[in-house]
Amino acid sequence: MSDDPAELSPAPDAPSAPTSSPAEPAPTVEEAPAPEPAPIADVMKPVEPVPHTPLARLRRFAFLAIPILALLELGAHLVQTHTVVSDAQWLAARDAVRTLAKPEDLVVMAPYWTDPIGRELFKDEILSLAREARPDSTRFPRAVEVSIRGQHLAELAEWKVESKKKVGPVTLTVYDNPSYRPLKDDLVDHVAPGKMAVSVLGAGGPADCAFTHGRVETGALGFGPALPADRFVCPQGGSLVATVMQPADYRPHRCLFTTPLGGGKTLRVRFENVVFGQTLHGHAGLDWDSTAHAEEQPVTLVWKLGDRTIGHVVTGNADGWKGFELDTRDLEGQTGEITAEVSSPSSRNRLYCFEADTR
Amino acid sequence: MTTAPPSSRHLARHRRRVTSTDHLIGFALAAIYVAWLIVTARSLGFPRDEAFYFRAGQDYERWFELIFDGKKEAFEATADSIFSYNHEHPPLLKDLFGLSFKFLHEKHHVFEDASTAFRFPGMCMGGLTLWVTYLFGARAYGRWAGFIAAVLLGLMPRVFFNAHLACFDVGIMAMCTLTIYVYWRATAKGGLWWALAAGVVFGLTLLTKHNSWILPFIFVPHAMVVHARPLFRQLGAGRLVLPTSLVAMATIGPVVFYNGWPWLWHDPVARVTEYVKFHLNHEYYNMEFLGRNYNSAPSPALYMPVMILATVPAITLALFLVGAVERQWVLGTRAWRLVRRGLLVVSGEGESTSPVVAPLLDEPVPASHRAAHGVRQHDHAQTDLLFFLALAAPLAVFLLPKTPIFGGTKHWLTAYPFLALFAGRGFVLVGEAMNRAWPKLVETGRASAAWVLLAVVVTVGPLAITEHSHPFGLSSYVPLVGGTAGGADLGLNRQFWGFTTQSLAPWLAAHAPRGASVYIHDTVWDAWNRMIEERRLPANLRAVGSPGEGDFAIVHHELHMGEMDDELWVANGSDAPAYVLAHDGVPIISVYQKRR
Repeated sequence: MSDDPAELSPAPDAPSAPTSSPAEPAPTVEEAPAPEPAPIADVMKPVEPVPHTPLARLRRFAFLAIPILALLELGAHLVQTHTVVSDAQWLAARDAVRTLAKPEDLVVMAPYWTDPIGRELFKDEILSLAREARPDSTRFPRAVEVSIRGQHLAELAEWKVESKKKVGPVTLTVYDNPSYRPLKDDLVDHVAPGKMAVSVLGAGGPADCAFTHGRVETGALGFGPALPADRFVCPQGGSLVATVMQPADYRPHRCLFTTPLGGGKTLRVRFENVVFGQTLHGHAGLDWDSTAHAEEQPVTLVWKLGDRTIGHVVTGNADGWKGFELDTRDLEGQTGEITAEVSSPSSRNRLYCFEADTR
Repeated sequence: MTTAPPSSRHLARHRRRVTSTDHLIGFALAAIYVAWLIVTARSLGFPRDEAFYFRAGQDYERWFELIFDGKKEAFEATADSIFSYNHEHPPLLKDLFGLSFKFLHEKHHVFEDASTAFRFPGMCMGGLTLWVTYLFGARAYGRWAGFIAAVLLGLMPRVFFNAHLACFDVGIMAMCTLTIYVYWRATAKGGLWWALAAGVVFGLTLLTKHNSWILPFIFVPHAMVVHARPLFRQLGAGRLVLPTSLVAMATIGPVVFYNGWPWLWHDPVARVTEYVKFHLNHEYYNMEFLGRNYNSAPSPALYMPVMILATVPAITLALFLVGAVERQWVLGTRAWRLVRRGLLVVSGEGESTSPVVAPLLDEPVPASHRAAHGVRQHDHAQTDLLFFLALAAPLAVFLLPKTPIFGGTKHWLTAYPFLALFAGRGFVLVGEAMNRAWPKLVETGRASAAWVLLAVVVTVGPLAITEHSHPFGLSSYVPLVGGTAGGADLGLNRQFWGFTTQSLAPWLAAHAPRGASVYIHDTVWDAWNRMIEERRLPANLRAVGSPGEGDFAIVHHELHMGEMDDELWVANGSDAPAYVLAHDGVPIISVYQKRR
């Protein structure tokens, strides 16, 4: 018998074997007793004369790259784990932010993953809900960015840097918004009787939704946004609340939350005493978890001034937190009503939020 | 441990077969690793899945009691009801968790914590992997290679994390490595006993986790190369011949699988179908990668390579590259000679009687290369090819767009022993280069000390990184990407399974009044209750299931979990957490306190 397993013929004494050949049962091959796989590494190499050219010298000592890399990695680990920003350093930065930021300014943390630390140590006096759950940053005239690790927020990339200040490892950058236009009205603040009326259209005429005060409702992951105590509740299902939702941009946004009713019904929201400007600026989006349901249809938001439709905003799974801007120059300086109508073919897995302001 | 080869006379000693000394070294590595895991186990809380497996272990242990008591119900409907729980995974490790709980906690009180008893078999699997990896390396590339491979494998932070758990991922890493080892021995040594052993071990691996389904994609192509000549000769005669070890795995394996899983006994076809379908159509849980949340197909093809770069120490990867490139070069040289000979045959200038495919990759190694690299003339077991297949097959699955990525790195741990083996080979090449660069080391007998120093230098970094990662193993990233903060910058997942809750214990003990209620977010009830029971968390706390209900609420930071923050902001009327648990400055959990 050869010591090469490849030389073996079928072994008659091997256990019976299945075969993939339907015609004839196949014998098995008993593996050959090949030579023990001897260690191949610990073999002395003849020491060759070493040429003295620079290239030869480089090749000769190339192995040092490995221990050098090992030591560099260890050094990097020690540096990375011993240069963490301390609470005291964050608090020193907080004191500086207090003097820099005006009430109307945006204050942000960069990178975004430091945001929980900012909220813990700066508290909501500085990192307030209005700043954290902003629809976008365009509504602020200036921004104070609190950053570490040389990171900056992309949303401020086009803004003009006004000043920079280092507070230990923390960099405070003050930005000017180059295209700032002051808000005239924020429709999310209208969730109250006398400022808003909500009704359901379809299936036998409009049905008014009552403004109620209950208890805050929350739930485990997948519940969607919290439902605050104050809300409009519709008689046959459906509601509208001002809350904070996380669309598929995975950022918190304060907005008007509802679940489209489906079945041909439309939720109509009439905003009253709205102060108009040149534009209606807003966003709409589906809850992040809803967007995983690829089979579901988009949600349509229709903006109307009286009977005149001024815009359709269609939001699907891939749209994230979708911005829109509608022209209202003909109403600039006036006060009046504007209506939003929300509809979708289905109500399943369509947690939906929108917001708008005038400016 | 044998150290560096100081002279050619001594070097001959290193060529000997693996002996009891090698098993002693392998055992020592395993024992030290398991001891380290036991010592650090209490500081690591319980992930979601582990809590389910604690329960499964306890349930399955009831079945063994029936067996020990000689009750026939063990083979009737009772078995079915016991093994119905968590039947999406086969039972071998859960059996071991349960038996360890019964004997090492309840009966003999070896472990004070029930959880440590449940975890002990998983830890032993971690140790077993190191042992087998050492033996593999020692046999294939020499003792130093085996030693460094085993050490670098144990010093991968994600391996260290998973090796603590009463879960299946390190268990399947151990069993796959063992199966490949036994198959390799069967191929190298021949004989019926190794083949039978391969069949039995493969069956046990099937009983461990479904990663075992990948093994045929390693063994079949490997066997086709090793046995190419008889296979083709017999095919020419109209017969299909199969290697004994493969036949044993194909026959004994399923028998062991069926008999070892009582849940299959009463309706095997339907239940095996259900089991297979469950894993082939698994739902997509959420996983962040490069700042984007993935919860549906297609999965990103870059996920696996980037996560390996971000979680395996760079020095391990560098040594792997050195070793793998060298072995690939050897394989490539052989393949090129094969192609050249094939061309000669086609052109009529070569040996026309030799089948072109028969000696695939087993071409004689050029003498010049043997002299330079100490490679043997023939490796009939095609060890390098086997290692490359064992490395590539588990990883290749994660290049498929349908493969979910929710398990992070744990689902390809089975590739890591082979990554480590090439790293071990790389270490030997570096050591040999050192000997050549400084021949006086050899001449003055200081080569051994130099190799020890080199080993310390390449392992101290991974040791420091792994030690520091605990107990935040899934949150930690290696220095190459900037550590934990660098991982956060890149938008890599911060954690999953809610395993970090226990790290809040000191803060909760200091700030939560007696009887306070806590919303426990991603922690499952069983995990919470066991942490309370084992006094890992203050015993006077009460868990609640809705964020608005608790006096305190915790939020495990993952990209999609921001929803919980938002809910609490609205419920509390404030977005400020009372405390943020951080690792290297990166938020892991926020704790909100209800405003009264």
